[in-house]
Amino acid sequence: MVKEECKALLDALNKVTACYRHMVLTIGGTSDSQNLREELKKTRQKAQELAVANRNKLTAVLKDKTVSKEDKAEFERLWVIFSTCLEILEIDMRRALELGHEFPLNVPKKHLIQTGMSGGTSGVAARAMSVQNMKYEAEHNIDVVDLKDLENEINQVGEMMYEMEMKVNVPQWTVEAKQDPGAELKSTISVGASSIGMISVEENKSFCDISKVLAGIIFSAVLIIAIVLAVCVVKLS
Amino acid sequence: MTIGGPRGRSPRLQMPCLRKMEKMIVSMQDPDMGIKMRNQRLLITVIPHAMTGNDIVEWLIQKYGISEEESLHLGNLIVKHGYIYPLRDPRNLVLRADESPYRFQTPYFWTSTKWPATELDYAIYLAKKNIRKQGDLIEHEKDNYNLLHKRINHTWDFVVMQAREQLRAAKQRRKGDRIVIDCQEQAYWLVNRPPPGAPSVLEQGPERRNSHTTRVQLTKNMDYYKREIEYCRKAMARTRVKSSICLEGNPWITDDTTYWAMNAPTVPTPTKLRVERWGFNFSELLMDPLGRAQLLEFLKKEFSAENLSFWEACEELRYGEQSRIDEIVDSIYQQFLAPGATRWVNIDSKTMERTLEGIKTPHRYVMDDAQMHIYMLMKKDSYPRFLKSDLYKNLLAEAIIPPETKKQRVFPFMRKQRHSSPSPALLLPAGDSEERSKSPAAAPVPEEES
Repeated sequence: MVKEECKALLDALNKVTACYRHMVLTIGGTSDSQNLREELKKTRQKAQELAVANRNKLTAVLKDKTVSKEDKAEFERLWVIFSTCLEILEIDMRRALELGHEFPLNVPKKHLIQTGMSGGTSGVAARAMSVQNMKYEAEHNIDVVDLKDLENEINQVGEMMYEMEMKVNVPQWTVEAKQDPGAELKSTISVGASSIGMISVEENKSFCDISKVLAGIIFSAVLIIAIVLAVCVVKLS
Repeated sequence: MTIGGPRGRSPRLQMPCLRKMEKMIVSMQDPDMGIKMRNQRLLITVIPHAMTGNDIVEWLIQKYGISEEESLHLGNLIVKHGYIYPLRDPRNLVLRADESPYRFQTPYFWTSTKWPATELDYAIYLAKKNIRKQGDLIEHEKDNYNLLHKRINHTWDFVVMQAREQLRAAKQRRKGDRIVIDCQEQAYWLVNRPPPGAPSVLEQGPERRNSHTTRVQLTKNMDYYKREIEYCRKAMARTRVKSSICLEGNPWITDDTTYWAMNAPTVPTPTKLRVERWGFNFSELLMDPLGRAQLLEFLKKEFSAENLSFWEACEELRYGEQSRIDEIVDSIYQQFLAPGATRWVNIDSKTMERTLEGIKTPHRYVMDDAQMHIYMLMKKDSYPRFLKSDLYKNLLAEAIIPPETKKQRVFPFMRKQRHSSPSPALLLPAGDSEERSKSPAAAPVPEEES
């Protein structure tokens, strides 16, 4: 089914965009490294391939006159999602370029910002590239070399978006969202309850005093023991 | 795609104060001269790179040699602009000079006028928060969420998809990093979408958006001076003299007050230029007292004089005394608006309704809608007819062209040319000879043109 294929491609692009955004967040911080720059490069190249594939598929479908009205509306909705995704991707690519210029890695005088991040982003990159483990094979000055490629790719994406706007005539205001406000809450099983719980606990008591917590635990333990002993005494006597 | 997307955007600049703050932040990172970092201990995880408020204040005092008060103020500015965020009381972006912990914000989330926070990103953030907190958002965030759902409804599906994916991507990171990212995002959106009532750091006053004022040219290189020279040269070539050719002679020079007498506000026979001027546009006609009187005459013949009277009464209300407002509003209502009034004006029902509502609480501008309606009516309807009418044509025919006065000529053979005198700066390069030849001739004869 064409619709399923389009949806799958779009989901893939969405996933890669989210991972890319996540990685661009870490540029300039302490978990920035040559590996990160390589991951960024690979991720955005994958994103571009997916974007081209999406565009070809969707334009083919939208040009097709034999598609029914509901299907056409659905494809237009997918088109709007696709163009927004591409927009976000382009902005992130531009920011990556700017941040890449601002924070070169091998210059001893330029320091990275101590943001508190200590882990790497290899997991995110692996998710984006749909592989188990990332392999790193680039040279040690990829952070500088890559910027030129990045500029070219930004121009390419810009041109693609311009072409899309000119050739495909889908007015955005005719598309209605399928999801109501709060729809994301209904299927949150995949997000995982444990991590949410921990994060919200951390946020609520973000800097609680350990000694106070320990004292509370000890007190309640003593209380429980005292109650148990009292009950035993009452029962035995 | 949003309208005015990346291609349609004019190149924005980073505000100079933000650039300076960024430099300061980078200098704080120096391993030798920067701020000393500590570790933040949460229940199980340890997150590095925390500093106390005291550390920040001390460092600022040392680096810039300023007083403690100034250092505190400076640090406060940095925190307010989101470059450093508090860890203990995250909603309160204030620098406390004690042991409260702070951390640096990641460069992606630095406040930037170059990369303003978009509605789409905010929507994704709210959706993520919604998922994490299972629907328990703060009041104003709930309102914003609903508002955004309506406003960017066409991409709402994308918002939900992207929110879910971003959360899944974040799960691939270490626990400590996840906490840090959440804190960073929260601080970023506190700065860029402050809760209602909190002052927004990004608000720029009415004049600040002008690119000329924000662009500071620090290096005065050759190009800069070339541009300045070109600009000044062009400015010199422009004549700054406004020619006021008075056919009857400028009263200030000839001591002849004919010009004023002929163009007085109410004069039996107006000058031709004046009458022709009424044909330029409606406001010229209305602003000239003579023109207004003629218009009134014309409208009386057409039985729509009450329009002009209504307009005049509204003008009186707008520019009149505060103490008389109630009185004037009442008289306007009685004369023009009340059903069955003597000089009832024809306004459409909607405007009439609104005006009648407004009359209950009268103020200077209650009649604005109605006045505008009547003004446009006169402009579109009566004014063209006035210009084509016999009345106006007669006025044009009868208007006088004032004769040129004969001026005393000391040197009868010297021809007086009517032109505005050129800028003296342009005479200089031609040499002094020109000046010398002009001066004896110019001195005894008074300059005719200004």
